[in-house]
Amino acid sequence: MEYYSPTELNEAYALLSKYGDAAIPVAGNTFFMGHREELFDEVEAVVNIKKLGLSYIKIEDDTLKIGATTTLNELFNHEITSSGDYKIFAETVNELNINEVRNMATIGGEVCIAGEVDMPTTLLAYDANIIIGGSNGTRSVSMQDFHLGYLNTALETGEMVVEVQLPKPIENARGGFSKFERTAADLPIVNVAVRLALENDGTCKEARVSVGAATLAGVPKRSIAAEEILVNQKIDEALIEKAAVASNDVECINDFRASSELRALWVKCGVEDALKKAIAQG
Amino acid sequence: MRDETSIIGKSLPLIDGYEKVTGRLKYAGDIPPLQRMHYAKVLRSPYAHAKVVHIDTSAAEALPGVSAVITHKDEITGKKKTCNSPWHDFSFNFRGPMISQEVCYVGDEVAVVSAIDEDVAKEAIKLIEVEYEELPAIFDMEESIKPGAPQVHPWGPNALDPSVFEWGDIEEGFKEADHIIENRITMGNQQHAPLDRNSCMAHWEGDKVSIWTSTQALFWIRDAVTEFFELSPNKVRVHSTPTGGSFGLWWGNNFMFLAVALARKAKRPVRLILTRDEVMTTVKRREKPLIDAKIGIKKDGTMVSQSYRHLMDNGAYGNKFDPYQSVADIYTTKHGRAEFIGVATNLLPAGCMRGVGDLTLAYAMEQTIDMAAEKIGMDPVEFRLKNHWQTGDICHTSQEVLFAKLLFNKTPEVELTSSGLAECISKGAEKIGWKDKWKGWGKPSSVDGHKIRGVGMGISTHISGLAFFGFNGITLKVNPDGTMVLTTGIGRMGQGGDTTQAMVAAEVMGVELEDINVVDGDTEVVGHTMVTFGSNGMHMVSRATKAAAEHAKEQLLEFAAKELEANPEDLDIKNRRIYVKGTEDVGIELKELMSKPIYEYLAAPEVIGSASKGVEFHKAGKMMMADFAEIEIDTRTAQMKVIKFVAYHDSGTVVNPAVCENQVAGGYYQSMGLCTTENLVFDDETGAILNPNFMDYKVVGPMDMPDPEIYFGEVYDEDGPFGAKGIGEGVTCAVPIAISSAVYNALGVRIDPPMTPEKILDALKSKGR
Amino acid sequence: MNSINLKINGEDCPVDVKTHWSLAYVIREKIGLTGTKTGCEMGTCGSCTILMDGKPVFSCLRMAVDAEGHEWTTIEGIEGDDELHPLQQTFIDDHGMQCGYCTPGMIIAAKALLEENPEPTESEVRKAIAGHLCRCGTYVRIVKSIMNAAEIARS
Ligand SMILES: Cc1cc2nc3c(=O)[nH]c(=O)nc-3n(C[C@H](O)[C@H](O)[C@H](O)COP(=O)(O)OP(=O)(O)OC[C@H]3O[C@@H](n4cnc5c(N)ncnc54)[C@H](O)[C@@H]3O)c2cc1C
Repeated sequence: MEYYSPTELNEAYALLSKYGDAAIPVAGNTFFMGHREELFDEVEAVVNIKKLGLSYIKIEDDTLKIGATTTLNELFNHEITSSGDYKIFAETVNELNINEVRNMATIGGEVCIAGEVDMPTTLLAYDANIIIGGSNGTRSVSMQDFHLGYLNTALETGEMVVEVQLPKPIENARGGFSKFERTAADLPIVNVAVRLALENDGTCKEARVSVGAATLAGVPKRSIAAEEILVNQKIDEALIEKAAVASNDVECINDFRASSELRALWVKCGVEDALKKAIAQG
Repeated sequence: MRDETSIIGKSLPLIDGYEKVTGRLKYAGDIPPLQRMHYAKVLRSPYAHAKVVHIDTSAAEALPGVSAVITHKDEITGKKKTCNSPWHDFSFNFRGPMISQEVCYVGDEVAVVSAIDEDVAKEAIKLIEVEYEELPAIFDMEESIKPGAPQVHPWGPNALDPSVFEWGDIEEGFKEADHIIENRITMGNQQHAPLDRNSCMAHWEGDKVSIWTSTQALFWIRDAVTEFFELSPNKVRVHSTPTGGSFGLWWGNNFMFLAVALARKAKRPVRLILTRDEVMTTVKRREKPLIDAKIGIKKDGTMVSQSYRHLMDNGAYGNKFDPYQSVADIYTTKHGRAEFIGVATNLLPAGCMRGVGDLTLAYAMEQTIDMAAEKIGMDPVEFRLKNHWQTGDICHTSQEVLFAKLLFNKTPEVELTSSGLAECISKGAEKIGWKDKWKGWGKPSSVDGHKIRGVGMGISTHISGLAFFGFNGITLKVNPDGTMVLTTGIGRMGQGGDTTQAMVAAEVMGVELEDINVVDGDTEVVGHTMVTFGSNGMHMVSRATKAAAEHAKEQLLEFAAKELEANPEDLDIKNRRIYVKGTEDVGIELKELMSKPIYEYLAAPEVIGSASKGVEFHKAGKMMMADFAEIEIDTRTAQMKVIKFVAYHDSGTVVNPAVCENQVAGGYYQSMGLCTTENLVFDDETGAILNPNFMDYKVVGPMDMPDPEIYFGEVYDEDGPFGAKGIGEGVTCAVPIAISSAVYNALGVRIDPPMTPEKILDALKSKGR
Repeated sequence: MNSINLKINGEDCPVDVKTHWSLAYVIREKIGLTGTKTGCEMGTCGSCTILMDGKPVFSCLRMAVDAEGHEWTTIEGIEGDDELHPLQQTFIDDHGMQCGYCTPGMIIAAKALLEENPEPTESEVRKAIAGHLCRCGTYVRIVKSIMNAAEIARS
C-alpha cells in the first residue's frame, strides 16, 4: 500500500486518477483506520488530503464555505459555525461526545461515509451543496443527490470532495438537531435536523425535516410529509406533534442495533425535539 | 471480636498505583519481545459446525518469513487429551484436542501460523486452503436437549449430567404452602469485555517452556500445560502479568496452549496477541440462563419450599453443570431442590463471569419471591427481613457439599459463618427512602407527565472463596533494613489483591504498607495459590499470608528477645520497632535488629516466614448484599434511566474502603450494562457474533449512569482473617434484581435483562400506553 | 516502508513505517513506549489517547506515516524530573483506577481538559472522558481524581 501526501490539489487529482478505484483519499482517518482490515485488499494507494489547504470556514458571496478537511471541533469552536445563522453546526457536533473523534474527524469524511453519522443530516436540512473536485475541474452536487446509498456517493473515480457550501438561509431561519443513541459514546441510531424559516407573525415559510442514520438506505432523507404539515402554518405544540407523527413517511431500517419500530418512535420523538429546539431559538 | 488495627481499614493507595499512572505496568502485551520472537495469527472457522475435510498449508509454509503452521494434523495439537484434573475442562472450556478436525462454533481454531511479523502471519493465514463439510448446528438450549437433536460436538452428549441438591421433602413442602408461584426467566449474553487484549508469549529452551500471559490462574495454566504436553511441573514456568481487567475471562484458554505448541514447532519464541474481535468472540461469555423457579409460601409470608431448574447455555465447549456454579442460598426453607443442567450449543463457549451462578439464580429466585410477596400483598423489604439467611444457617446448595459428594461420597453440613443481611436490608431501605417511594406492587412511586418512576430492591449472596480451590503457600522475607518481600500467586486484576495481602502482612508485622514489596506471578518463585476467583483473596488467601507473617514475626521476636534480654512472649512490634510490652521505651528498631550481627553467629539474622494453608470447609463465609434502585421510564421514548442506586453490602471487615468501594461501583456498572446495553448478538442463521467490538457491544461509559451510593454493614466474620469476607465477584449479583423489580413497579410488567427500549416499548404497548 | 521522524515527548524518533500501521502500533511496537494501550484499535475505548500538539486524539486511528510535523505527548512524557504530574498523583491518592489499563488514556484526556479549562464542572469532566471506557467501573473516583487535580493546580 503506497502512501502519498500531496500539497497541491492537482497532484492529488492526478494520484486519484492514476490509481482509480484502488486509491483512497483519507482525511481524519477515523473511519478508514477503524475499518482498515476490511479495506486492505482493495486499496493500493492512500492519499492524505490534509495538506491541501482545505481546512477553512468562511463566508463569501453570502455563501458559507467549509473546506473538506475542516475537523468537527474546528466547526464547534469557529465563530461562524457556533453562533448566528449557522450555529446548528456546533449544536450538531455537540451531540458527538467523543472529544478525540471531534479532534480528528472531518466534514468531508462525514459527508463521504453516508451512513451512521450526524453532519449529513444537518447538511441536508440546510440545502448544502457538495463541491467535488477532479482532474476535469469542479462540480457541485446538492446534498440531496450526493448520497446514493450506504457508503455510496456521487463521487466518480478520480474525484474527491473539496468543499461544503451552504446558501445563506432565509431571514429568521432557525435550526434544531436531535439524536438518539444507545450510550453517550455511540454512533447515532437516529438523528434529526430541522430548519424553519418563519415570518414575523410566526407563520412557517419554509421547512426542512431531515432524518438520518435510521433510514432504509442508510443515508439521510427528508420527511416531505412532515415538511408539508409545517409550511404556511403557525407552529404550536399541536402542529409539532402532527408533523412528528407524519414523519413516519421515512421508512426505518431494522437491524441488531435497534428495531425499525423503535427507530420509528425515535424519529417521531426526534422530529418533535428538533422542532422544539428550533422554535425555542426565536 | 474486633481487632485493634493500624493498617486494616484504611484507604491506603494501591501498591502498584505508581506503575499504573506512569504507564510502566506491564500487561502481557507490553512485555518486550524476546530475541528471534515470531508473531502468531489464528485461522478460525467461519462455520458454526463443520468438519475440516481437507486443509492445505503448503502455500502458507512457503511464504518467506513464516516459521511454522499447525493444524489438527499435528500430533500435539490434534490428539485428544484427557484431563486428570477436572479443573482444566471446566475452567478453560477445553475442546478435547487443541485443534479439532471438527469445528464447533464460529471462531473455533483451524490453524495457527507464526511468522516474522504480524503482517506476514496475516498473509499466511489467507494462503491456507480449507475445505469444510458443514454439519447441522444448534443455537438454542431447549432444542439442544430434545431427544434426537444433532450432536453439538463429538465428545459426549449435548447435556451434561445434571447436578442436583435436595433437602427436606420438596413435594411435602409444596403441599404445606398456601400459595405456589411459578416463573421462568432468562437473560442476554454478557461478555467480560475487558479493555486489554490478552496475549501469550511462549519460549522453549530445550525441554522446558516458559510462558508469559495475563491471568488470574497461573498454577492452573502450569498444570494444564504440564498435562497437555506431558511434562513435569519442573519443565513449565508460567509468568503471569496483571490483567487489563479479567472478570473471569483470563483463566486459561486454548490460545495459550496453541502459542506453546507453535513455539515448540517454530523453535523460537512466539507471541500470540488476540484482536478485539477475538477477545469478544473466541474466549468465553457469561453462560446464558434459562431458569424455571417454583416457590411455596404461607399466608403470613413464610417460605416453605423452593425449587429451581437451571439450564445454562454452555456454548460449544463450556463445561458448567455445577461445580463452578456458586448458588444462591439466601433464603432458608425446610424443603428445597435445585437442579443445574449444562447444555451445549454451537455458539461461543460460555463460562464463569463475575458473580457467576448467583447472578442468574438469585435473579430467578428474587423475581419469583417478588411475585410471591405480591400475591399476599407484602412489602418486599418486609418479606426479605422475614425470610433471609442468618448466621449459623445451613448452606444447602454450597459447592462444598457437592464436592464432598463427588470426591468422597459424603454429604456433610456446611454452616454459614455470618450474615449482615438484616442490616443491609433495613439500612439500605432507609437510604433509598423506601417508606416514601414504595407505593405497592406494580405501582409507580411517582408520575410526572411521560416520566414514570419506580423503586425496587433485591438481595443476593456470593461465596468468599471455596475450600476446594486448594492450599495457599505464602512467604514473607525480611530484608536487612526491615523492609519485606511477600511472595504470593494472587492474581492482579484490578481488585487490589496484591495491596490488600500486603496490608495483612504489614498489619501483623507492625510496619507500614510501603515497607512490603510483593512478588507475584511466577510459578517457580511463589507457592501454590488458589486461582484468584470466587472472591477468595481476602477470606482465604489472607489466612496463609497472615500465618506467614506471624511465622516471620515469631522469628523476629526470638532474635529480639536475645538482644533485649527478654522473653519473646513479652515482645511485640509497632511502628517498625520491637518493644517490651508494658515498658515500651525498651526496644529495638527492626532495621537495627536485622542489620546487626548476633554474637552466637557472628552474622545478622535472616528471617523468612512461610505458611501453607488449606481451608477447613465446614464453615462458609459469604458476602451478602441488598441493592435498591429508583429508575425512571420515559413513556415517550421507551428509555430507562437510573435516578438513584443504593448498594448496602456485607463483606465483613472492610480491609481497604477505597478498594472495596471501587469494586462495588464496578459491579454496579457492569451489571447495569447487562441490564441495558450489553448483549452479544448471534446471527440466527450462522451463529456468528454480529457485534464483536465496543462500537456495537455497548459498555457503560462515564456519562451514562449516576454513580451508586455505597455503604458497608458493620459485620465481623469470626472465621475470616481480621473479620473479613470477600468482595470481588458478588458485587454484580443483586443489581439486575433491583433494576428489574423497579421497572416492574414503574410499568407493571416484568422484563428480563437486557431491558432494552424495544422491550420497554412492548411493555408500554401491552399496558395500552 | 516510509521513513519518518516522529517527535514524541520532545525526543526525535526516526522510524520506518508501513502505510497501514497506526501511530499507536508504532509507538508501542517500534518505539517501545508501551504506556499507550491499544484495547480496541477502532477508536471505541480511549486507552490509546495521546496528545497531538496538546489536543487529545486516538493514536489507533492515526496513520503513523501521517504523524510527522507534530509534537506528540504520551503518558511517559508528562511527569516531571522528580515528581509525578498532579493528575498522576491524584489518580494514586484518590484510587482513580482499578486494573489500570484505561488509566494512561484517562490521564492524557484529563490533562488536555485541564489545560483548556482549569475549572471544569463534573459534567465537563465526564464529557472530556466520554470516549473512554473503564471496564472496572471506576468512574466515580476517576472523576474525583480529575476534579482534585484541577483544584490542586489552582491553589
Ligand atoms: C467511536 C466513534 C464514534 C463516532 N460517533 C459519531 C457520531 O456519533 N456522529 C458522527 O457524526 N460521527 C461519529 N463518528 C465519526 C464517523 O463515524 C467517522 O469516523 C468520521 O465521520 C470520518 O471522518 P474522517 O475525516 O475521519 O474520515 P476518513 O476516515 O479519513 O475517511 C472516511 C471515508 O471517507 C472518504 N473521504 C474522506 N474525506 C474525503 C473527501 N474529502 N473526498 C472524498 N472522500 C473522502 C475516505 O476515503 C473514507 O472512505 C464516530 C467515530 C468513532 C470512531
